[in-house]
Amino acid sequence: MLAMTDSVQPPRVLICDDDAAIRQGLVEVFERAGFTAHSAGDVAAMERQLAATGADLIVLDLMMPGEDGLSACKRLSGKGRPPIIMLSALGDDADRIVGLEIGADDYLAKPCNPRELVARARAVLRRGRDTDAAASDALRFAGFRLDIARRELHDPDGVVIPLSAGEFRLLRAFVERPQRVLSREQLLDYAFDNDSDVFDRAVDVQVSRLRKKLERRGSPEIIRTVRGEGYLFAVKPTA
Amino acid sequence: MQQRAGLPIAAYLGVLVALALAAAFVATLAIVIFLPPRPPDVVRADKAAEHFEEGYDHMTALGRPMSERGVVWEVRQQPPEDEGSHGLDRTQHELAQSLALEPDQVVASAAHIKMDDSFVFRVAEVEGLASVISPDQIARISEEVAQAYEEAADRAQEARERAQEAAEARREAEIAAAEDRLADAEDRLHAEHERLQELSEMRAEAAQARAEALREAQIEAAEARAELLAERQARAAERLAARIERRVRVENGEVIITQIPDEHADVEVNVDPPEIEIPSFEFAVPTPPAAPRAPARADPAAPTAPVHAPRAARTATAPPAPGAPAAPPMYAPAPVGVLLISGFEFGAQLPDGRWLVMRQGRNWAEIGWILRAAGIIGGTLLVLSVLALLFARRLTQPIRSFADAVQAVGVNPQSEPVREEGPEELRGAARAVNTMQARLRALIADRTKTLAAVAHDMRTPLMRLRLSAEHAPPEQREKMAREIAEVEALVASFIAFARDDPAEEARLRLDLTALLQSIADDNIEAGRNVAYECEERFVITGQSLGLKRLFTNLVENALKYGTAARISSRREESTIIIDVADDGPGIPLDQREKVFEPFVRLNEEGTRGAGLGLAAARSIARAHGGDIAILDGENGALLRVTLPG
Repeated sequence: MLAMTDSVQPPRVLICDDDAAIRQGLVEVFERAGFTAHSAGDVAAMERQLAATGADLIVLDLMMPGEDGLSACKRLSGKGRPPIIMLSALGDDADRIVGLEIGADDYLAKPCNPRELVARARAVLRRGRDTDAAASDALRFAGFRLDIARRELHDPDGVVIPLSAGEFRLLRAFVERPQRVLSREQLLDYAFDNDSDVFDRAVDVQVSRLRKKLERRGSPEIIRTVRGEGYLFAVKPTA
Repeated sequence: MQQRAGLPIAAYLGVLVALALAAAFVATLAIVIFLPPRPPDVVRADKAAEHFEEGYDHMTALGRPMSERGVVWEVRQQPPEDEGSHGLDRTQHELAQSLALEPDQVVASAAHIKMDDSFVFRVAEVEGLASVISPDQIARISEEVAQAYEEAADRAQEARERAQEAAEARREAEIAAAEDRLADAEDRLHAEHERLQELSEMRAEAAQARAEALREAQIEAAEARAELLAERQARAAERLAARIERRVRVENGEVIITQIPDEHADVEVNVDPPEIEIPSFEFAVPTPPAAPRAPARADPAAPTAPVHAPRAARTATAPPAPGAPAAPPMYAPAPVGVLLISGFEFGAQLPDGRWLVMRQGRNWAEIGWILRAAGIIGGTLLVLSVLALLFARRLTQPIRSFADAVQAVGVNPQSEPVREEGPEELRGAARAVNTMQARLRALIADRTKTLAAVAHDMRTPLMRLRLSAEHAPPEQREKMAREIAEVEALVASFIAFARDDPAEEARLRLDLTALLQSIADDNIEAGRNVAYECEERFVITGQSLGLKRLFTNLVENALKYGTAARISSRREESTIIIDVADDGPGIPLDQREKVFEPFVRLNEEGTRGAGLGLAAARSIARAHGGDIAILDGENGALLRVTLPG
């Protein structure tokens, strides 16, 4: 838990929620997980806090008195802002898509498992460190389009290929780290929650399913097996 | 919004009716203008008689009447009724002769007879002529004629007398000259002897010669003058006589006065010279070349005229025939001297006493006329129906686009408002729909706001609880988390059902197999017993979130009542069938429709959820043109989803 603090500063998380009990609870959860946590009761306070201490990650409630989370997220995006995880009482798929499309890096519906929130926060931070690619709505490769918000894959003919949650995370991990050999451990780390007990074998199963969904007649192999090491995403994503 | 005004529908209909009336009027007008009067079926009387002879021979030889188009042959007991068309007397007579029958054994009659460039019709009433020529006038004319004749005779006599006088004068002058010459010779003889008196005598002789020459010249001049005068008078008399003769023809003891033909109609008046008596009149109406209604196309040899062998049968002008009713004049040109008839009937008695009758049949020229009239009416109707079709399209086009727009509003209240255009009634309807749409949108906005508030108010405390649970011991925490998740699921299903709007999401081509696979995988990942196996790839058009919710609901339902869900999919013709089978207790037959109703749960105790999953699933399936049915599975219930492929 404290392994991160050895090499780097603990990540700073800024929690913005209008409900004091939730705010307090979340601060506790994050601090227990080794984060430096601050909180703000509304968007204005959050911005003040952001200016004062800065933050590596914002956990933003959607529905708040005054300016709501969506508009704040929209306003903040595009000027080197920290990644945002939205935490909302609106848990529908459609709401989640709206939030992600507006620029949130992840979206969680209340009530959520606090440890899942922490895991996602870690994943978001890791993604920010590992990739240079700015968070965009869609990733493109070999004619496919991966819609981040909708968690959908569009094939070269425009047909929607729904992905399971695991497949989506795996594919996202591959696309964001193209032409690099990724070990099964790395993939587990990127694509699965830390606390979910999946094994190497599970990675192989997911990869084979993903291959089946990606395979098209006459096109080159997209995910290549590197014997003894792991997998390689063989095509270069396009803008 | 572009507004196009239009007239009320009633106005359009009114115009349509007016159009129909106009078309009827135009058709009538066209018939009157472009079609000649219906042509009569005119045939030559001589040819008809000849044909009748053939038919008679045929009948007597074979014992049955001829059968042909155009004329009708029949054998009957009664002779045809002679309607008193005495114009065919001669034809009838000739027919009797050539058939070797008595005159009363042959009947020839015709409704219309035409002779000598003119159709004849009779005036039974003398009074009918009173307006044309009065008996006084006729008497006066007769007198004038007589006077003129007398005058001409007198003048001619006078001229002849003058000429005679002139001849006598010349003869006298010649005698005188001869006598003079004799005397002259005597004188010359005498002069031989009497030379003394020669000079004086010579002088006398010269004088005598001069006088003689003078006299001779005078006589010649007088003679010439008399001749000239006589000649001129004779010519004048001849001219007068000729002029009178042009007006007066003496024929068979009748004087026929012909008016100078610069008048339109010649009037032939039969006059008995001694006392002026008018037994009957005949108006001969000439067929002028530029007669106003003379149709050039009426063939004198009409289709029914049987022409077999030419026969020079010249028929004379019919004798005056009193008593016949006035027949309508007909305007077919006729060859000179040939009688043209129509509506004829020939009859002759057969040796067995029955009568063979030949009657004119259907008037084929008339059929052509009717066909052409029908063509004009049909053409007008065709033009009208094309116009009406265009008109109707124009009228119904706004209605159709209105229907489409209303349909769009019904599917998606956020769509464009209906354009207020077209007929007045339709614009009123469009306004009403737009008002309704605006209220609908306001309602939806209200609903969305309410739902968001409900979600917030219910989930915020749940989140608080969930955070508090973190402080509890692990096993208690898990239990609390489960309870909280259950309440959350309930809240989520309420909200999802309340906001459920299948039309909101876009429809895309999507891989149904991959969708089912991903649902199964997600469940497997969560440690649930869900299986899906399908090699075939089904691509359909649909809403990916909606369909995902549909099948997720079914799988959750299956896992609620059983422990395992098995998904399978296959194609049957144009339908894709997806079965979700569970190993639960199954659903009784009488409950199978009821479970699709909202808030219906099968066994109240021990089951979770609001009872909305199947209701939502069915509404999504139906929005995709499919449905859900409940069947018996191998171990439990089988929910079968059909979707159009």
